[in-house]
Amino acid sequence: MRSGTDRAQSFLIVATLLYRGSHLTVAVMAVAHRPWHPPLQHLGLAAALGLSALTYGTALRRGRFDRRHIWADILVTGCVLPLALCAWGGVREPPTIAWAMLLGGSATATAAIALDRLHALVVVALLVLTHFIGYQAVDATPAVVVGHLNSLVSSAVMTYAFRWYLLRQGRLLDEANARALAAEAHKARYAERLEHHRALHDTVLATLTTLAAGTVDANAPEVRQRCAREAAYLRRLIQQTAEETPHREIGAALEEAVGSVESLGLRVTAQYHALPQVPPEAAAALGHAVREALNNVRRHAGTGHAYLTATADPDGGGGAVVTVVDRGPGFDPARCEPGLGLRGSVHGRMTEAGGRATVDTAPGEGVRVELRWPG
Amino acid sequence: MARVITVAVVDDDRMLRDGLRAWLDGVPDLRLVATAATVAELLADPGRYGDPQRAPADVVLLDLVLRDGSDPADNIRRLLRTGSRVLMISTVPDRSRIIEAIRAGADGYLTKDHDLPTLVCAVKDLAEGRGAHSMELAFACAYDDSPARPRLSPRERQILLDYASGMTLKSAARRAGITVHTAKDYLDRVKAKYQQAGRPTYTKLDLALRVREDSLDGG
Repeated sequence: MRSGTDRAQSFLIVATLLYRGSHLTVAVMAVAHRPWHPPLQHLGLAAALGLSALTYGTALRRGRFDRRHIWADILVTGCVLPLALCAWGGVREPPTIAWAMLLGGSATATAAIALDRLHALVVVALLVLTHFIGYQAVDATPAVVVGHLNSLVSSAVMTYAFRWYLLRQGRLLDEANARALAAEAHKARYAERLEHHRALHDTVLATLTTLAAGTVDANAPEVRQRCAREAAYLRRLIQQTAEETPHREIGAALEEAVGSVESLGLRVTAQYHALPQVPPEAAAALGHAVREALNNVRRHAGTGHAYLTATADPDGGGGAVVTVVDRGPGFDPARCEPGLGLRGSVHGRMTEAGGRATVDTAPGEGVRVELRWPG
Repeated sequence: MARVITVAVVDDDRMLRDGLRAWLDGVPDLRLVATAATVAELLADPGRYGDPQRAPADVVLLDLVLRDGSDPADNIRRLLRTGSRVLMISTVPDRSRIIEAIRAGADGYLTKDHDLPTLVCAVKDLAEGRGAHSMELAFACAYDDSPARPRLSPRERQILLDYASGMTLKSAARRAGITVHTAKDYLDRVKAKYQQAGRPTYTKLDLALRVREDSLDGG
């Protein structure tokens, strides 16, 4: 989403463009309805149209004005054009140059939003001076002169006030948005912590309390197994929370997969590093594929031990690489049809989600399943 | 029969020291000769280190982070000066600290959840002058993104990554199409690069070059 100040800036560009547009419409009509005007009128109009297209076109594209364009517009459209028309335009009466004078109003308006205060003041003073000279040269009545100079100044003052108000509102909006985001992240962290506390309560804390009470034999195989499982859980938890990442889709999906096979007696040694952010459906596919791969280790490796790693793609690119490895007997990939688990669930699920699974094995060499997202 | 390897343990957790003592008591080729809560305490132990006539332990198992707040790198250097080799152990793989320890000259790293045969194997490797390798040490090196990391060749990196994923060295070697011997050489070389990079000859210019390479890689 664009920031509030950027949006205020864009609004000011469009507003001054419309203002300039209205002045140009008047100018085109004035020049077109008097075809006997000398070519200087047409040349002047062409210059004003061209400079306006450059200034406002660039500003619309970039989201802000280019100061060089503003100065070019002010000097050519605002200063040179009225004076040139007075000197060589032929007809020496106020209505003939009124269209060129009018453009000065949109020039000061734009200067007031695009330049800093000192430069904007210089621009207004410059235009007031040249336009005063211009109208004096064609003997305009004081009412016309004062009215025009007033419009030059008030255009600048008005847009300056708009700019001040809108940018302030934009800044306030940005600050409010930043606060809301921070509050949301804080809430998410709090929810995560609560979830961890609940899990710790049900596992580690319960086990330690029972052991401390002395009511069970700490050396009994099932107690030791439970302790090892919970120590592994704590290790994964520490690795996952070591880096303060706001996204935890992969971490949560892997935790669920590991938890499901650990309860069936498989030991999982997990190492995580810089888990990247992935869409929820990719995380779900990775979790599902890991669960199948771990189940495969449990059923076929005969070692009771799997190694899981999950990292950001070490070759860059923002993807995720997850491996499930065992040190069991492996199989001959050329002869042995891999179990339905590897072919169906792991491959199928990863491909469906836009990822890829590769299985590497040989007799006596264990099995290595590598999952990549994107594939 | 091989000579008995002497082992010392520095860990601030008494229960863990007692546990290791019970474990190592049952291993015929190893003898636990000293335990202490800190390196200073171990070096002041009159039974082993206070007496210049007696040799220091062949291998010291050193807890990565001790409660006395001592600097792990400093602990390692003090132990190396006595002539012992150092095998780091810790509960949780804290990767930046593992890298620091290897730079300081530690010869291996294991988390405390390994079984006894793995620990004994690592101690024997160190005592016989070989490097001890572990999945967690390989993982820490493979995903080290600090600017001071040494440059690895593509082959070294592949073996490191595969070994870090939990494959045996034999399987990682087969996958790369090389012998186990060569694969172990690669892992030794990676560790040697870290140990060399940890020496003070490392200049600021080197660091600046590495940072620039990183930004080129990332770009």
